[in-house]
Amino acid sequence: MQEDGNKQSEALQTEACGIALNEVASLMVTLDHYDYEGLAKVQEALLALPPGTPPLVREKVTRMAAKLGIFLADGGDGEQVMDEVGELLESAMLDFEEVQAREAAEKAGETAAGETEQEPEITIEMDSGPEPEPEEAAPPAPPVAETADTEGERAASPAEPVAAGDYPTEFHIPEDSDEELLGEYITESRECIEDSEGALLELEEDPEDTEAVNRVFRAFHTIKGTSAFLGLDVIAELAHKAETILSRVRDGEIQFGQRYASLSLRSVDMLKALFDELEEGLNSGEPMPVPEEYGELLDELKNPEVEVATASPPPAAQTPTPAPPEAKPEVSAPPADAPTPVAKAPEPVVSKPAPAKKPAATPAAPNGGAKAKKRKGVDSTVRVRTDRLDRLIDMVGELVIAHSIVAQDETVSDGNQHMLSKKVSHTGKIVRELQDLSMSMRMVPLKGTFQKMARLVRDLAVKSGKEVHFTGEGDDTEIDRNMVDLINDPLVHMIRNAVDHGIEPSDDRVSAGKNGVGQVKLMAYHAGGNVIVELSDDGRGLSREKLAEKGVSKGLIESDKGMSDQEVFNLIFEAGFSTAAQVTDISGRGVGMDVVRRNIEALRGRVDISSQFGSGSTFSIRLPLTMAITDGMLIRVGTERFIVPTLNIKMSLRPEQEALSTIAQKGEMLMLMGELIPLYRLHKIFNIEGAVQNPTDGLVMVMDDGDRRFAILVDELLGKLQVVAKTLGEGVGKVPGISGGAILGDGRVGLILDPQGLSNVLRNGDCLQPEAAGAGSS
Amino acid sequence: MSEQTVDTVAAGTGDAPAVTDKAFIHQSGKFLTFFFDDEEYAIEILKVQEIIGIMPITTVPRTPEYILGVINLRGKVIPVIDLRTKFGMASVEWTDETCIIVMQIDETLMGIVVDKVSEVLDIASGDIEDTPSFGSEVNTDYIMGIGKAEGKVRLLLDIDKVLSVKEIADVGLFGANSETS
Repeated sequence: MQEDGNKQSEALQTEACGIALNEVASLMVTLDHYDYEGLAKVQEALLALPPGTPPLVREKVTRMAAKLGIFLADGGDGEQVMDEVGELLESAMLDFEEVQAREAAEKAGETAAGETEQEPEITIEMDSGPEPEPEEAAPPAPPVAETADTEGERAASPAEPVAAGDYPTEFHIPEDSDEELLGEYITESRECIEDSEGALLELEEDPEDTEAVNRVFRAFHTIKGTSAFLGLDVIAELAHKAETILSRVRDGEIQFGQRYASLSLRSVDMLKALFDELEEGLNSGEPMPVPEEYGELLDELKNPEVEVATASPPPAAQTPTPAPPEAKPEVSAPPADAPTPVAKAPEPVVSKPAPAKKPAATPAAPNGGAKAKKRKGVDSTVRVRTDRLDRLIDMVGELVIAHSIVAQDETVSDGNQHMLSKKVSHTGKIVRELQDLSMSMRMVPLKGTFQKMARLVRDLAVKSGKEVHFTGEGDDTEIDRNMVDLINDPLVHMIRNAVDHGIEPSDDRVSAGKNGVGQVKLMAYHAGGNVIVELSDDGRGLSREKLAEKGVSKGLIESDKGMSDQEVFNLIFEAGFSTAAQVTDISGRGVGMDVVRRNIEALRGRVDISSQFGSGSTFSIRLPLTMAITDGMLIRVGTERFIVPTLNIKMSLRPEQEALSTIAQKGEMLMLMGELIPLYRLHKIFNIEGAVQNPTDGLVMVMDDGDRRFAILVDELLGKLQVVAKTLGEGVGKVPGISGGAILGDGRVGLILDPQGLSNVLRNGDCLQPEAAGAGSS
Repeated sequence: MSEQTVDTVAAGTGDAPAVTDKAFIHQSGKFLTFFFDDEEYAIEILKVQEIIGIMPITTVPRTPEYILGVINLRGKVIPVIDLRTKFGMASVEWTDETCIIVMQIDETLMGIVVDKVSEVLDIASGDIEDTPSFGSEVNTDYIMGIGKAEGKVRLLLDIDKVLSVKEIADVGLFGANSETS
């Protein structure tokens, strides 16, 4: 009994040590490297660790304290010190965890040997996550389930009572948590998830890819660590379970097969869902529901072998595992005869493998933590708030303009001040470089998008029962950050179409003489100052006849006579046009392609189709590099200047008198290479005085709004320029035909024409004078 | 006015509902005053971001006449409103004293052109009177009170209302009157 008492107080001491470590860790997270006072506190806390600290941990703690001490006394690179201490702290915590686990295992053994007194709570809390405290701090709904099942495993209690109902149905954000920290945590975790998703897909291709296994493992591990840290046990638990599988794969214990892949992908999805919930909860402050499948998934993660045993021919070593009692029917799994043979005698079977397997998995964790440190090939980054970045880019734009004003000043440009103009041009170079640099800060590679699409293709293929192979090319192509999210939706639509309508079922493909596996290829590259994203499939392609027929029956066209293939294909972008004979779960509701085009046009891009009936289609999206910069032509009308986006200009010309004709003395037409194009006078639309009246004296610009062509009459072309597009502000509201403003080289504001809006105004016959608002001024 | 104030105070000693009386909404505080002809107007200084000299304004087509256009305020494009037109006053030539007061209304920046800026002064709530009613002759919706500090009369503009996005879309304050006249 004496010994018992000792053990117990020892346990309490170690627990105190765990809490202290966690406190230090949470303190560290909130500190900046220049917060000397805070760091001093950390050092104090480290030195004051209770005596129960395991020696291994104590050693690291001492090193940390020493490092901090040196930094506080002598200064140095604060960030580096913070990093080092952080790493040490993490590894100390892992060590601690390990020690705990070991102790727990010992204890479990003793308990099993017939001891009456035990401390199950402590044991459990220790291994369910590194942060016991917030768990207590969390309001109701403590994760009872985890307690129950971890206990089950650890103590090898025969009855293992796991039912889905035991899992929490909602979770809370711990009261004392820092919102900003949580926000960062969500962003970071999402990045981890994204990365792991990509790695998982790679793994499916090549199950031997150990680097990919490590990436997934690291992602789960990081999420587990930080979640537990923040007291979000629901997330930590899931990540932990998912991590366990991966660590076993890494240790060569199991083979990464289809079953594990789906399980891991499902975990990834579940984590995504949880983070969505969390983000919502963060905003609303309400408790967050745990998705229904959570419990089920957790159960499966815990016993992943169940289905695997059936999927692969069972090797001798695996035979005892197949049938733990809670073998759940799994939807996507092969419905083979798995559970039947051993179902009768679950108890002895389970109790044996459980303790044997777990310890193998847990010690693996510190290993992974150490590896996570040396991330290879990843440049270090700093997170910057986007509004600050935008502001920076604005200011640099200002600087460029201010500089050009200086450079154009007479004193500089008259040539008498040789040295001065030399200096000014030197400054100019720096300013331009600065501009390029600041613009590049907004650029991110399309990698994430490609990964999402790869996943989408996989899922869609599974759903529709087709075999589709995805290839991505050029995922390092960079594009403006803001645009990445915006091209997501159009791409999703297009990929759905490609997989659902484009790619034929395997049999059809084979009988058509094609490879049974369909190909979907996503490509991105730069061309002519634009980013081109191309999606091609080798499916059935677009049928001109069918499209034309459909177009006629929908009343979109009268006949396809005189229409180019391109124009006929473009019909699919009309609202309500769907070529699928049958609406499927995936696509075919008739919305979609029109949304695709609208979204892309909103990005000042355009989408083109080329297709060969029977052998596939290619959709190519052409986007400007960045939304922030518009390539444009500066034009003059009367005294006013406007910027016309280059993307929409087909050509500019000074027409001959013969090419012009009028309709009913009002509507003007321009004959251009056999095509009649409506001609509008910009000065009339915008009510500008003193403009060129005769088209043969001015310049006619042929514009293309994506739908149709029209020409506008302007006075002259002043030049080509790049501008930073800005809104006119709410005060002005929406002006038809104007999409925004930009600062011109002379510091004045120039208005950017919006061809689409203009075209709409013109088409509605509304080229009248502006409303006589604000009347009354004498 | 003072009578009325006394009344409400007496009626609702320390009672919250009494505050709804218009006289009590007037916040005393610092105001920036400026001129249109010889009329002196005042706006809350907290809403003023800065005062800049008149600069080239780019007209925006198809907008109401009182929207003079947009200017470049250090890289930001902001609209400029001509309150004279909005209030139905006659336009005047711009001089050296003409300036643009940049105001911040609900996160949006907007400029108003004024003949000249006068001063910044404190107006105590006791010195603020309700706007007298002129019947339908004069629309006083945009005037939230009349300050009478230092023996001068200043019209306190309800600038939020004047520059509210909804209002901007509507026809000007005195516009209806001058149209009929």
